Amino acid sequence: MRASVAVLTVLVVAVASRPTLRAHEIGTTRVSVVFEEGRTYQIDIVTDATALAEKLEASAGRTLNADMRSEQLQSLMAGADAMFRGRITLMFDDAEARPAIAYAVRPVPDASSASTAAIHLTGEIPPGARHFTWKYGWTFASYAMTVRNASSVESATEWLEGGQTSPPISLAAPPSHLDRLQTAWRYLVLGFTHIVPKGLDHVLFVLGLYLLSGRARSILWQVSAFTVAHSITLGLSMYGIVSVTPRIVEPLIAVSIAYVAVENIFLSELKSWRIALVFAFGLLHGMGFAGALRELGLPRTEFLTALLTFNAGVETGQLAVIGAAFLLVGWHCAHRGWYRRRVVVPASALIACIAAYWTVQRLMS
Amino acid sequence: MVVVALTVAGARPLAHDMWMEPTTFLPETGQIVGVKLRVGQDLLGDPIPRDSSLINQFVFEDAGGRKPLVGRDGADPAGYLRVASPGLVVIGYHSNPSRVELTAEKFNQYLKEEGLEAVAAVRARRNETNAPVRELFTRCAKSLVLSGSPVDAASGDRVLGFPLELVAGRNPYVIHAGQDLPVRLTYENRPLAGALVVAMNRRDASQKASARTDAEGRAKLPLGRAGMWMVKAVHMVPAPAGSNADWASYWASLTFELSGDKSGAH
Repeated sequence: MRASVAVLTVLVVAVASRPTLRAHEIGTTRVSVVFEEGRTYQIDIVTDATALAEKLEASAGRTLNADMRSEQLQSLMAGADAMFRGRITLMFDDAEARPAIAYAVRPVPDASSASTAAIHLTGEIPPGARHFTWKYGWTFASYAMTVRNASSVESATEWLEGGQTSPPISLAAPPSHLDRLQTAWRYLVLGFTHIVPKGLDHVLFVLGLYLLSGRARSILWQVSAFTVAHSITLGLSMYGIVSVTPRIVEPLIAVSIAYVAVENIFLSELKSWRIALVFAFGLLHGMGFAGALRELGLPRTEFLTALLTFNAGVETGQLAVIGAAFLLVGWHCAHRGWYRRRVVVPASALIACIAAYWTVQRLMS
Repeated sequence: MVVVALTVAGARPLAHDMWMEPTTFLPETGQIVGVKLRVGQDLLGDPIPRDSSLINQFVFEDAGGRKPLVGRDGADPAGYLRVASPGLVVIGYHSNPSRVELTAEKFNQYLKEEGLEAVAAVRARRNETNAPVRELFTRCAKSLVLSGSPVDAASGDRVLGFPLELVAGRNPYVIHAGQDLPVRLTYENRPLAGALVVAMNRRDASQKASARTDAEGRAKLPLGRAGMWMVKAVHMVPAPAGSNADWASYWASLTFELSGDKSGAH
């Protein structure tokens, strides 16, 4: 694991200056939500005043007069209150809340800057409410929403698209920011569960590595090669440097499992080319892990923490599989004469059959 | 512990246009022009501040050649240029690809809106109509500003070499409201036929003029009134192998201001 951390650290330094694929065009709108003692809420929307006024006017079938002063923009917004409310949704559990809304447009400090609208929403949290959801439809760009409790300085940030409904935010506990430690723990668990119980294909691959020989040296070499390799491609894929479509990666992962299992039937000791092959297969599996991690999503603020701990979680999952296999069969019978005949060969044959089936299935889909 | 979902799953379709709005379309020679990036619909846009990680090219070209627009990250206008000499200045913004994941329903709706029936047909043929989509989208926006007199009709739009590019067939500053603007659409520097090209005016953007490009990638758009116009087109191709996406879209736009004064013609 230490080796993979080192490899990833090197990669991260190497790619730090490289432009990566960005999901969205981020605008200038910001939303901040503060809950006070579970009784009241305050929401501040800061957005480009002209852009908002233009959309409000267009919704009313009018065109915004150019060069409006900030007081005029402000009274326009106050006058379009009903219209404005039509594209925001504020829910406590299943009940829609109707906040009091105050509109303010700050005077422009100088000719080159745009005037900003500050919209203040307040109201009471219904007693017993558990979740809060939010939707803001007056922007076409992505925006950040921060949520915090008045008593806390910690806030959680959510990136939303204009018109997108936020995930439910719990009011039961303070909406604390997932700090580094929490993120680390969360992605460690996600990495582990990606192997056990969710990743039967990876489990069978690791079992295939384990079954080759009862010697600790054999397992150690193969697992190390596999770990270093999948750490490399996981990191490279997440930073967008390497990208291979799952249509190629997924069938090849199945092939790699079948290969390792078939080889176990004909081979009972570790050869150097087996380590090289396991390394190559590790590169493939890393890309598979990256696909899974991308689906889970990574926090922007703790990208590296999440990446490293996910990888560590995957690793822990694999070691757990090996540990379980050792306790179950290796410990008692790896040294017995019938171990190969009665355990290694039938188990490997079974793994090979399943993997062959997966290969065909993944090629077809 | 509160677990706030940190993914952007369920995002709205990104069928939004992207265009450039210069602080003026008719600068004086020597004037500094700010160029704002806007994302939205019907020319109702939100400011997109400069983000250097998204910029592939952000340039302007005049008789003196091609230069980058200067600017500071996070600022709106996203870039500035100085008009060095009289004539037409062609401004271009070519973004790096951004990634978006869409549900089948949203993607199909957006194909319909943008006139991408060919893509819908391919999806239907492959039985993929109900499959969600991973898309890469790239912005290819241009804007034309004029310094000095429009009489020099010889100076027209320029080809910047963007993946998808709209090129004005005539200098829009020599035509006036009520005339047609011929445009040419190229994809990878070759004419793109059968593509939907749409023009809209800032004052009544819901009243759109549209045409399909012919075999030479040409289309004519009637520009009914004076003021700021945007011409746009979207093209979509299968995403390149290894990009971990299904489709790649290119969003071309061309903004300029049309004079209502008939004396401006010829």
